[in-house]
Amino acid sequence: MGLLQNIIFGVITGSYIAIAAIGFNLIYGIVNMINFAYGEYLTLGAFIGLFAATALPIPLPVAVLVAMAGGGLVSIVLARAFFTPINQTGPVPLLLTSIGLGIALRNAIRLVAGREARYYDTETTTFRFDAVPDLSVGSVDLLGGFFVTSKQLIVVASAVAVFVAIYGLLTRTDVGIAMRAMGDDESLARVRGIDTQLIRDSVWVLAGILAGLSGVLLAIQTNVSATTGFSQILQILSAAILGGAGSPYGAIVGAYLIGIVLALSTAFLPSGMSGLSSAIAFGILILVLLVKPSGIAGAEVREA
Amino acid sequence: MSLLDRVPTGNGDLALLAGVCCVLIGGLFALTPLRAQLPSALYVFVEVGILFVIYGLLVLGLDLQYGHTGLVNFGHVAFFAVGAYGTAMLSAQDTFAGIGLGYPWPLALGVGVAAAALVGLAVSATSIRLRGDFLAIVTLAAAEILHSVFVNFEGIFGGNVGILGVPRPIAALAGDADTRLIATLLVIGGITLVSLAGVTRLTSAPYGRVLRAIRADELVTRSVGKSTVTYKTQAFVYGAALAGLAGGLFALYNGAVAPGFFTIQVTVTVWIGMLLGGAANHRAVLAGLAIIMGLRLISRFALDVTPVPSDVFASIRLIVVGLILVTVIRYRPAGIWGDAQELGVDR
Amino acid sequence: MSLLSADALVKEFGGLRAVDGLSVSVEAGELVGVIGPNGAGKSTLFNCISGVVTPDEGVVTYDGTEVTGDPPEALARRGLVRTFQATRELETMTVRDNVRLAAPDQPGEQTVPALVRTESMQTVEQSVRTRADELLETFELDHLADEYSANLSGGQRKLLELARALMLDPSVLMLDEPFAGVNPTLTDEIAEHIRELNENGMTVVIIEHELETLTELVDRLVVLQQGRVLVDGQPEDVLSDDRVIEAYLGGGV
Repeated sequence: MGLLQNIIFGVITGSYIAIAAIGFNLIYGIVNMINFAYGEYLTLGAFIGLFAATALPIPLPVAVLVAMAGGGLVSIVLARAFFTPINQTGPVPLLLTSIGLGIALRNAIRLVAGREARYYDTETTTFRFDAVPDLSVGSVDLLGGFFVTSKQLIVVASAVAVFVAIYGLLTRTDVGIAMRAMGDDESLARVRGIDTQLIRDSVWVLAGILAGLSGVLLAIQTNVSATTGFSQILQILSAAILGGAGSPYGAIVGAYLIGIVLALSTAFLPSGMSGLSSAIAFGILILVLLVKPSGIAGAEVREA
Repeated sequence: MSLLDRVPTGNGDLALLAGVCCVLIGGLFALTPLRAQLPSALYVFVEVGILFVIYGLLVLGLDLQYGHTGLVNFGHVAFFAVGAYGTAMLSAQDTFAGIGLGYPWPLALGVGVAAAALVGLAVSATSIRLRGDFLAIVTLAAAEILHSVFVNFEGIFGGNVGILGVPRPIAALAGDADTRLIATLLVIGGITLVSLAGVTRLTSAPYGRVLRAIRADELVTRSVGKSTVTYKTQAFVYGAALAGLAGGLFALYNGAVAPGFFTIQVTVTVWIGMLLGGAANHRAVLAGLAIIMGLRLISRFALDVTPVPSDVFASIRLIVVGLILVTVIRYRPAGIWGDAQELGVDR
Repeated sequence: MSLLSADALVKEFGGLRAVDGLSVSVEAGELVGVIGPNGAGKSTLFNCISGVVTPDEGVVTYDGTEVTGDPPEALARRGLVRTFQATRELETMTVRDNVRLAAPDQPGEQTVPALVRTESMQTVEQSVRTRADELLETFELDHLADEYSANLSGGQRKLLELARALMLDPSVLMLDEPFAGVNPTLTDEIAEHIRELNENGMTVVIIEHELETLTELVDRLVVLQQGRVLVDGQPEDVLSDDRVIEAYLGGGV
């Protein structure tokens, strides 16, 4: 397989990570917490979508919308129940609470849905491009034949749609502009008459919607089980912090970087060591935190 | 008479005395033909008890880092694993996979502890200045990296099988299974008690005052002349070394190490035990850990009397554990026995 | 040669020059007041001197050596001790521990003596406790010694911070707004303590808003404006200086 094909894989992985990482970073920027339970929101979204598509049944695109709505609802309910009451206690208690909530949610899902993985019933068309020249440099083919599936195109298209929508939201709507103001300086935003609790709630809903979408896309690509989201949380977190804690646009850059690094290291690590690819992603994260702790774009995370 | 006069009290010296006694009695079981008899109903208690005293070392180290100094280490299992793998790889003979060098176990244990301390030093040298929640992320990520290194470098660490054929010194000396378990519990429990005495002395001395000042306000602590980075590094390394000791003892008790023993679940268990008991109070964190690990006993017994499959019970137990963490932080942020004013969570 | 001097200090925050080519020097045994409107750079000056921030340009000299950018702990150990504008008590520690913490040269702050409980640690700790209790008595905080300092009033916090700084036996004491938010009676009391310390040979530098207390107290006043020294001289000369009246008193006098 050529380099090109692996980069395509990386872009696809980066796409659903990016959607989730935007949500993760919105929470980080506005609520000022690292939400370790966020992976479970993806899992819940994926299961809600699966339930809507198979048990009801409704067409898949509608099921995706249902999953997004469900994700938003789950997110705001959980935030109201668990995070909002302890909003003032600082980042560490919030992080610990999210870890406890994540454990409870993950096991509750396992209890209800069982251990085995479930699959979305979808049809896939594969588009092949075999006539591309290899353009070899040493043992590496820079181009080479490649393929994409219709599912993969949907993932990338959804991500692009999300980016456009988020950009529009943050620049064109009152709520979005208030979100940015609050991310910059909460007390100033309050002085300006922004209802900070309302904005926080909106962020929770928005982050839940994004988690729901990302979860369904992930499940369509692979499958869904109780640990689907949890297995992604460190990648999401890496992407978000890599891009710059609190910055939704940075999250996009971070996500594609992580996605491509994951894909390339899976392809080029010696066989039997492909499991190290996530370790490489975390290694990059640690390196970024040490060299430029504010990420590609973002706030200071060292102590004064 | 004169011995009784010198029995120390308070500040952990009782723990020191009890710890030394435990090790001596445990040694007596192991080295002499003395035999212990254990009713079969108690087996499970002793087994969980051994795991508890091993995890007890973990929670004492973590409490030194977080409870006293305020360092949010969410990768504690990494140091546990380094101690265990270091000890196992140096001492193992005829391991199925990975490296086993077959050196004497005391040397191996020493190297295991030193390796954990060194990894702790490396992590703290790079990350100790990060803000609390980001230190948590870096340590967590470091633990995950280490975990996948253990899994993926099969030739060195034995992959998912791990390292087998680690010597079990107590088991080798003690005659039968009952004596073996009792002696192990006494010896490791004694070491944990001695460690408790050590950290108690450390934290009740002026040394502990500096640690707690750093947790309260690092800049002020610096402005009265304390090199806070040195203290933070020391606290982190000592905690890592204690975790390494726990890992080494685990390897020598279990006779094998594998990645499955060193998941994030260990870190979470120890954290919840610490927060439930009350951070910055050594006996409280041990008691909190005992409660959390006691839940394992309950689910084991419940398993015997109900027809529900074991994985369902495991899920229910973990839901309870997660909710305990959430509830403690919200309603009792100082834990059961912690001092709310000392921890600054009074409201 | 001055005991403490700052020469042509510059410090920028996000493009804003908080301190802009500022030079001040303090002689041994002096009692100097630094005043200026909000944003004049008083606290930044203190932060640059005490090593809390490193100046972008300029040199800080203390006791004959250059100390620019030296960390606060190193300067504190050499006798240059400061307090903070918003009192920073170690709220999760008792009043007595707040003061005891600052004791220099306690061997029990190292691992091995702490583990072994050496005689010297015990002896030193005994004298540290005596000294701390003396200071608490001087500042009339002795009845609160076992309280957590979170429970103290604003004025008591100022006193505690002073006691903690004195535990280090400083040569130069830098006080950042020691009278802010303190009632008049206590203000006089704190001023009296400062005067006494100075008379016993301690060099003191005070940042302050409250002009009245300061003019009576200090030997010399330095007025800052927009990160620069506006006037530097005897209190009575400074107060009658037109530029000071214009800048600091808003021209309304």
